[in-house]
Amino acid sequence: MTQDIRDTDNFDKTRKKINDIKFFFGNTLTSENKKAAIGWFCTYTPEELIIAGGFVPVRIFGRKKIIKSESYFPINFCPYIKSGWESLLADADNLKAIIFTNSCDGMRRFFDIASKYLDGIPSYLLDVPHLKNRDSRDFFTGNMDDMKKFIEKLKGEKINEEEIENAVKLINKKRKLLKEFSNIFYKSPDLIEIPAYYKVMELSMISDPEIFLDDLEKYLGFIGSIDKTSTKNGISLQPDQRNSPSIMIIGNFIAEDKLWEMLSKMNLKLASEDLCTSNRYFVKQVVTGDNKDLMESIAERYLNKPQCMRMADPGSKLAEIENVIIKNHIKGVIFITLKFCDNMLYSFPLLKQRLNNMGIPVLYLDIEYNNFSEGQIKTRVQAFLEML
Amino acid sequence: MGIKDRLKTGIQKNLNLRYIKRLLGIIALKPVLYAYGKTFPSASDKYLNIFTIESLKKAYSDNNRPIGYGSLFIPHELFHALGITPFLPEVMAGFTAGLGLAPQTLKEASSHWYSQDLCTFHRSASGAAELDLFPRPDYIITSNLACDAAQKSFYIHSVKHNIEKNFYLIDVPYRYSEESIRYLAAQIKNICTDICSKTGKKPDISMFEETFELSNELRKWAIEVGSLRKNLADYPSHFNGLNFILPFHGLAGTREAVILYKEIYRDLKKYSDKQCKEISEKNKPAKRILWLHLKPYYRNEIFDILYRENCRVVFEEINHVYWQELDYKKPFESLARKMLSNFLGGSIDNRIGVILKAAHDYKADGAILFSHWGCRQSNGGARIIKDSLKKINIPTLVLDGDCVDQNNSSQGQVKTRLQGFIEILNS
Repeated sequence: MTQDIRDTDNFDKTRKKINDIKFFFGNTLTSENKKAAIGWFCTYTPEELIIAGGFVPVRIFGRKKIIKSESYFPINFCPYIKSGWESLLADADNLKAIIFTNSCDGMRRFFDIASKYLDGIPSYLLDVPHLKNRDSRDFFTGNMDDMKKFIEKLKGEKINEEEIENAVKLINKKRKLLKEFSNIFYKSPDLIEIPAYYKVMELSMISDPEIFLDDLEKYLGFIGSIDKTSTKNGISLQPDQRNSPSIMIIGNFIAEDKLWEMLSKMNLKLASEDLCTSNRYFVKQVVTGDNKDLMESIAERYLNKPQCMRMADPGSKLAEIENVIIKNHIKGVIFITLKFCDNMLYSFPLLKQRLNNMGIPVLYLDIEYNNFSEGQIKTRVQAFLEML
Repeated sequence: MGIKDRLKTGIQKNLNLRYIKRLLGIIALKPVLYAYGKTFPSASDKYLNIFTIESLKKAYSDNNRPIGYGSLFIPHELFHALGITPFLPEVMAGFTAGLGLAPQTLKEASSHWYSQDLCTFHRSASGAAELDLFPRPDYIITSNLACDAAQKSFYIHSVKHNIEKNFYLIDVPYRYSEESIRYLAAQIKNICTDICSKTGKKPDISMFEETFELSNELRKWAIEVGSLRKNLADYPSHFNGLNFILPFHGLAGTREAVILYKEIYRDLKKYSDKQCKEISEKNKPAKRILWLHLKPYYRNEIFDILYRENCRVVFEEINHVYWQELDYKKPFESLARKMLSNFLGGSIDNRIGVILKAAHDYKADGAILFSHWGCRQSNGGARIIKDSLKKINIPTLVLDGDCVDQNNSSQGQVKTRLQGFIEILNS
């Protein structure tokens, strides 16, 4: 077995280095944005247009503890939105503008709140259709054009075709490299730890893409160099052989460091995921060429990327999940949702039914945001893994 | 025990589809139905109950196929024009509360993994569907207008009945624009064409003529009712404008809805004329309340307390006629415009506009927003609504509760908050 022939000391040293994200992404973490930033929330936001306008797209992760936000939203409301609002109340001055999408009822009200109570920071809501067909693509293309005009107003001049083309290339490259990184992560979970993986994902959404890409390329280069010298170091990127069950995580905006830490210490292999904070962000490229309209190509990519539960067709989403489970030999699913997310909560009864038919056990968890009750969740995950 | 209580007890003890059908078979017999209708204190209440029972009888009868499930904010004229009997699960959830069945339906929903954090209208309807209390649908039309829950829970109904191919989601854009109208009208046309191809009906705009005429007639009478209420200083104690959701939406485009709204107008006109004679004798005018969102549909004290304390609900935002007349020559565009005009869609500014105008037109002294558990679109706007009304010196009470689940609402707390609010109004 691969693990048996490894030089433990060497392996541990290398692993420690690979998981030192601060070291590899030093430029990303320390560089001060020279360009103004535009905040965004949902993976249906076409970052390409923000970049084409000369701005840095920064996803609002909402790391602030919810205090003031409580007086703006009801108690049973999306905790990510509340945290996001808390962050905007504290730090919105750093942003040139904020772009919302009509992802859900909660986001629509969030946009209303920001428009009314956030002085001096322009907000825009991009209307994203729920359907995936030609008409909805055309409609979405028109809506993106409207968003482009909003950015042009901020920029003070028109965005030209070349700027969009360059932005598409840049973001496509980021998606491609993130995909490569995630493939390595799935193949070698003993090498890249779960917290490091999600940290890179987070950085990909909140940083200047050019600086981040530079760091990511070097990072992947280092990981690649290990692969090449695998016999010498006893380290390889071969499929993991440990006797851990392959788990798929399905969720929404899950960005809980304590959860990732907790999972990394457990006997499981994270073999696939369906989250707003990972694959739904980077999977699927914008396909250009063949005289295709650029804006239309971007619209097509966003409407056909791994879909959020908010889209109209839960049937195709379930089929998508089923295929992933079969392809990746998944043994169990952890369904984890932020509380009060209607789109996620309504997807569970059918998902549960479908997984039952496949003989795949599923663990249902609903969590707060920035307020993770580790003890309780740990017990439940452990029991689930034991059952597997 | 009166007839209503007997009905309630009967259905509580025999909660199954067969019993519901049997019960509707008996009560919908003309002599029984009209005898039942006479037990109501006004003509409008009488017709509301008669037409509701008749529409349920139709939906539960296998002789009236096809049956279409529709969510509240779709244009039900579509069903009527296509000859489909509509059935509204969300309205049925209100009935589960009124009939005391919600504990059972909600429990059933929980056992099928519907989270308790979800809206109880949808949860109770899903529970009822899981208990097989609803008729089997042939078609399902829903939308994302104002409510994420509808599009999801209705899809689950389609899977349960294995009719995913007859499930239609109307994707309603956020903004009112000509592009939005085109996008929406094309969807409605496609749905119509697809259903026609399945039912064998020839798609023809003439089928909309009568339905739209009746819908326009309903619209006219609903506006008349609204105008009359602007100057109504007092109300009959039994009147509750929050009871007319089914005719306002589900029966739009039918003769019954027109008759009913005419009766509401007559009832209130009669009361208004009587009031004009007696008003001088009254010393203290009632406090005028604008009601926002819905109400609890189980037995509760809210409206009794308001009445006792000389407060009258003078308008409910849900009764606002938000759409223009429908034009049968442009059926799909007309229905698209109707959907896009719904003030619960898009920005909160649409809703605020309606609320502020209603507060002005109906001379409201205060507003009560019933904050139904799990309704993100409504509750998420509570702060803005409250602040907007405050700017025109109208106090707002955000009353936390649940329209369907009695156990999710503390009656004592509701009472205390209501009384505190009334004190503010009287101060």
